[in-house]
Amino acid sequence: MTQDSLYEQAAETYGPALDRLARAYELDPEARRDLLQEIHFQLWSSFAYFDQRCSLRTWVYRVAHNIATGHVIRQSRLREKLVTIENIETIPGSDHIELAASRSQALERVSTLIQRLKPIDRQIIVSYLEDMDANSIGEITGLSPANVAMKIHRIKNILKRWFGEANRGEGKTDDSKTGAENSGEGGLHAN
Amino acid sequence: MPTDFPMNDPQNLWKNQPTEAFKMSAEQLRHKSQQRQNRARFEAVKSIIAGFAVCAFFAFAFTRTHEWIPRLGWAVLSLWGIYLAYQAYKWIWPARVSPDAAFNTTFQAYKNELEKQRDYVQHIWKRAGLTFCFLGIAIAVMPMVIKTFVAPHLLLNWLPVAVLLAVWFAVFLPTRRRRQQKLQQEIEELRTFERGSQA
Repeated sequence: MTQDSLYEQAAETYGPALDRLARAYELDPEARRDLLQEIHFQLWSSFAYFDQRCSLRTWVYRVAHNIATGHVIRQSRLREKLVTIENIETIPGSDHIELAASRSQALERVSTLIQRLKPIDRQIIVSYLEDMDANSIGEITGLSPANVAMKIHRIKNILKRWFGEANRGEGKTDDSKTGAENSGEGGLHAN
Repeated sequence: MPTDFPMNDPQNLWKNQPTEAFKMSAEQLRHKSQQRQNRARFEAVKSIIAGFAVCAFFAFAFTRTHEWIPRLGWAVLSLWGIYLAYQAYKWIWPARVSPDAAFNTTFQAYKNELEKQRDYVQHIWKRAGLTFCFLGIAIAVMPMVIKTFVAPHLLLNWLPVAVLLAVWFAVFLPTRRRRQQKLQQEIEELRTFERGSQA
């Protein structure tokens, strides 16, 4: 396959995922558009070297995350404020979050969480949200599957706390929800 | 509140957010590649010309001076201009796109990027050839400084320059050290995490 056809295939298959990935790294719409363009350009450039040693998906996500991480690293003031998943997990009071009133608010909340994270943790949470398992994430990041699984466990706990709290609030207004949903326990995907 | 509100499924929420259809045509990609090469070459040429301009300026000062000590200073500063041009060629001249972005795992790429930044901060003095620059200035102004020993009031002429230089040093050196320390700390954290991951 040629460089162009590989890019065509990647953009076709992973286009929406790349857009979401850019959202995880840049809030400003204009800067995000530039970042997305840069990811697409670098992806096309990288296909000149694609030797099928890894899957197309792994290749695409590696390039995309690496370019986006470079974008974050260059903003040194912003970078210094980023925290790890472990830090967020231990922030007191982070489980007392007000109920998000709409889908967009809930999405904003997830985005806020992602934007606070250091690149490696950000890569893991984005991959997790894209429904990847620990092995696939390990292949992209280079971390051991056990390490990734541990991080995912923490991510799930944080999301459960944030969204579980919201579910309890929602339960007050909507009694049709099941107990499992209201506890926030069963609703999260388990990979 | 809608009943299908996906608060209990962040993955579903994330994957179903509205996205923009974005794709670049082969023509756009080649145009961008060409544009980027041209821009990088222009930047490099601009910096090289600036280096040679610095060299020519101090070479001119060299020819206009007859005392040997200041002449030596202007000569060092003139060489500094050539050094600047060489550094611009070495670091800015466009190379082929590195495939590292895909061959390295994201963890490795992140660590490499931090190390690159740390090395840049660490070697900024050397890359800018600031040793040449300050040495040249010091030699060039030495006779004038010696004159102030017999006429101390001449020192007042140097006061603004000395103050500016002192302020620059007071800001540049601690900022550089702080940036370097923060980067090093982050690199160490990654190394510790990497070791823990392998264990």
